[in-house]
Amino acid sequence: MPKAIEIDSFSYKYPDGTIALSKITLNIEHNQKVALLGPNGAGKSTLLLAMAGFVKGTGKVLIDGLEINRKNLKKIRTCIGCCLENPDDQLFMPTLFDDVAFGPLNMGLSAEQVKKRVANALETVGLSEMADKAPNHLSAGQKRAAAIATILSMKPKIITLDEPDGNLDPRNRNNLISLLKNLPQTLIIATCNMNFAAALAERAVLLDKGRIVADGDVKKIMSDSELMTEHGLEVPSKIRE
Amino acid sequence: MHHAHIDKFAYQDSPIHRLDSRVKFIVLVVFTALVISLPRTSLSILVCYAVGPFTILVLGKIPLRFAFKQILLVSPFVLVLALSCPLYDKTPVTVAFGPLVWQSSLGWMRCFAIIGKFIITMLALIALVSTTRFNNLLTGLQRLGLPKVLIIQLGFLYRYIFVLIDRAHHILRARAGRKLRNLGLRVELKTVASMLGSLFIRSIDTAERINIAMQGRGFDGNWRCLSKLQIRRYDFFFVLIAALFMLGLHLFVRPILQ
Repeated sequence: MPKAIEIDSFSYKYPDGTIALSKITLNIEHNQKVALLGPNGAGKSTLLLAMAGFVKGTGKVLIDGLEINRKNLKKIRTCIGCCLENPDDQLFMPTLFDDVAFGPLNMGLSAEQVKKRVANALETVGLSEMADKAPNHLSAGQKRAAAIATILSMKPKIITLDEPDGNLDPRNRNNLISLLKNLPQTLIIATCNMNFAAALAERAVLLDKGRIVADGDVKKIMSDSELMTEHGLEVPSKIRE
Repeated sequence: MHHAHIDKFAYQDSPIHRLDSRVKFIVLVVFTALVISLPRTSLSILVCYAVGPFTILVLGKIPLRFAFKQILLVSPFVLVLALSCPLYDKTPVTVAFGPLVWQSSLGWMRCFAIIGKFIITMLALIALVSTTRFNNLLTGLQRLGLPKVLIIQLGFLYRYIFVLIDRAHHILRARAGRKLRNLGLRVELKTVASMLGSLFIRSIDTAERINIAMQGRGFDGNWRCLSKLQIRRYDFFFVLIAALFMLGLHLFVRPILQ
């Protein structure tokens, strides 16, 4: 069985020449929950975009055994769902129902199948009652859950989440953790919040200045205070205790 | 931040809300064309035409206060145009209203006709927007054959105008927090230009991220959505009443009052 994600020596430069990612080699198995850690500007978001074929660099990126190229792009995007940092960017349709239905409709599913998928996705994130609401009428926590529903309705094998805990109060953050914990998909979560990562992931990949500086068990990496401080991070309170 | 949405009453339930958006839109277009085509001296007929949108607003449970507030917001442009009429057309006319007869000018007649037509057509437009959810209106317009690009643009405009307004507020607040003295017109203009530039760049960034979100969910340039619209017998009944009202005014009331 192919790995969920195989990245071999991937490098990417911004148009102004700044190196965003340098020789990234990373393999992620199916159903793993991986935290991409790193300070601001480490390249976490860019790496997530590279996984979905939104940035083109040098090296190889394979998603579920398919190499990212123009021919495979449609298949790859039904296999990997990207949840962007700001839910307002993800929720662009007039109603939540239309937003969650957008992906399945583009997959060419029948109206009945689309309705079923929308209902299931909204139920999973606890927003069944909000289907007819406009996204701008939702709270920050609801927007985040809605953004995840737009991905779940496509039933991807892999989900990438960019700073999913941003702007969330502790209650909404805990709700999000329990929602993500129960998802069967491979999850790759880019975050600066160490407690959030520790609560969710079993593996951590530490990025800094576009390079992978550590990869392994989340608790082992996070308890290395020297490594964490060196890369602008902190040991999460849960592990410190 | 909370905004006053133009369709904030569209989520209510009433006989008017339940009508198909296409039917409402077509009736609005015909009604507006009839009102605009009225001669500039037929002020009394205008009052009869106003019955239509008022009835829709009342049946749709839309507060008249809200409707007139919306009209006031856009009225300055029309008022400037209307109030300039008496200045250049001073042809004397005799105006009769029942037993009351007085002298006026054609310019003033024009002025009142413009204001009257504006209020009535705006009331009709508010009646449509306030009783129709924006997404249903867009779907209806798409089904009526409006170009897809225009529909997408309108959808995005409605979705992101409030995000843009919020951003503008944040920028203004940041400026107010650091502006401790009057800097003079030149510096102020420079600051405003920088603020607009920043807003523009952030809008482009947002557009790029939305494009990523759309492509990530399989968007290939074709706009697909599940249409929930259905024309029923009830809609035909509304069209019949609207047609009888407009025909009655056009064929019978208009000749009597003119």
